[in-house]
Amino acid sequence: MNCDDSRIYLPAYLDEELGVGESLRVQKHLSECEDCRRAQDQQLSLRSALRDPGLYAYPTGDFSKRIEAAVRRAAQEEARSQGSSWFEWFRIGSFRWVPAMAALVIVTTIGVFLAMHSMRSTHEQLIASAVLAGHIRSLQPGHLIDVPSSDRHTVKPWFQGKLDFSPPVPDLSELGWNLVGGRLDYVDGRPVAALVYQRRMHNINVFLWPNHASAENAIREEDAQGYQILHWNGMETTYWVVSDLNNAELVEFARALRGH
Amino acid sequence: MTSQEKLQRFEEEISPHLKSAYNLARWLTRSHEDAEDIVQEAFLRAFSAFESFRGEDAKPWLLTIVRNTSMTWLKRNRNARTTIAFEEALEDPIERSPDPEEGLLISCDRQQVRQALEQLPLDFREAVILREMEGLSYKEIAATIGVPIGTVMSRLSRGRDWLRRILSTPQPVKPEEGAGLR
Repeated sequence: MNCDDSRIYLPAYLDEELGVGESLRVQKHLSECEDCRRAQDQQLSLRSALRDPGLYAYPTGDFSKRIEAAVRRAAQEEARSQGSSWFEWFRIGSFRWVPAMAALVIVTTIGVFLAMHSMRSTHEQLIASAVLAGHIRSLQPGHLIDVPSSDRHTVKPWFQGKLDFSPPVPDLSELGWNLVGGRLDYVDGRPVAALVYQRRMHNINVFLWPNHASAENAIREEDAQGYQILHWNGMETTYWVVSDLNNAELVEFARALRGH
Repeated sequence: MTSQEKLQRFEEEISPHLKSAYNLARWLTRSHEDAEDIVQEAFLRAFSAFESFRGEDAKPWLLTIVRNTSMTWLKRNRNARTTIAFEEALEDPIERSPDPEEGLLISCDRQQVRQALEQLPLDFREAVILREMEGLSYKEIAATIGVPIGTVMSRLSRGRDWLRRILSTPQPVKPEEGAGLR
């Protein structure tokens, strides 16, 4: 294990979330590397600062009693209403359970589907806000590009060795979209390529990383705080495009990019 | 399960975690009054949902309810307060200390740590609180917040980096040393 690996594994190692094999490898590296031991000390000192019992917020004794009383009241009310509802069930007869169970199964199934759908869309919203944050950050002086070049043959090789994939860098200048450079960014827990194109004075950030899900070429739109966010999953690459350019032109840009 | 049995089981399994419930709500809302209201609401919700509790670990089960109640509460009150809309944007706190590994953590002053933690954006704060104060595993945190484990790890790592930077100060350079460089 080298230092880069060790730094990646270190937090999970200290949180006791690594398997035995990996833990041993981290331990071995730590015993040999002073720099990583210093990083470990750092992380441990933050941990002990955060675990200071003085920071823990304890409820008051009065409050604990209040909660206990509230729960007991709820139990009493439930007992009263349950008494009558049990009575109802027995009076109606047990065959009524069948449609009730069927309804329950249907409702649960719908619920699970909705939950899965909303989990997915929450994930997309998280990416959308990360991408937007990346875009806004990039507009601050000196943050836009790491490799300033309008030449795709300069930009593309620059990513080599910095990413575990080779991002496509199409030349769209004939269509009026000028490449101004690229940089590394961090989205959805991984390093990604960010390409910057320009039309007039509008910057367009294109965030891309490998797509492991199925390709669905439909361009989806998210609108956030006056910025336009477009998103689609290509055959091999996931694209997120952000700009303050108007929607129609940005869609045109996205189509040009997708068609390349 | 009769109501009496339910109450008894609830008081045995759930009530002991009142302390964690309050601590989480307090750190999420940064307010004592709000935390008390949220915990009360969460406990009543937990009691009425107790039939769905299948004897798994009670603490994460309760904390999920507390967390969701807190989030609903924060959303409801967000318009009334000037909360930053994009809390996910975690800006570098200190320009002069670009690398969290560089400076040693010098500030273990409780007040400073408290302030830093309160300033940490919500998404990161909840992950850090659940891990460091409540001792939940990555998997339990993921279930509590409702995000993938990878996201938990990334939030923890970025949140902790941010705290380390806030609480670190770079080694001061003595003037004569600086002069020696020239």
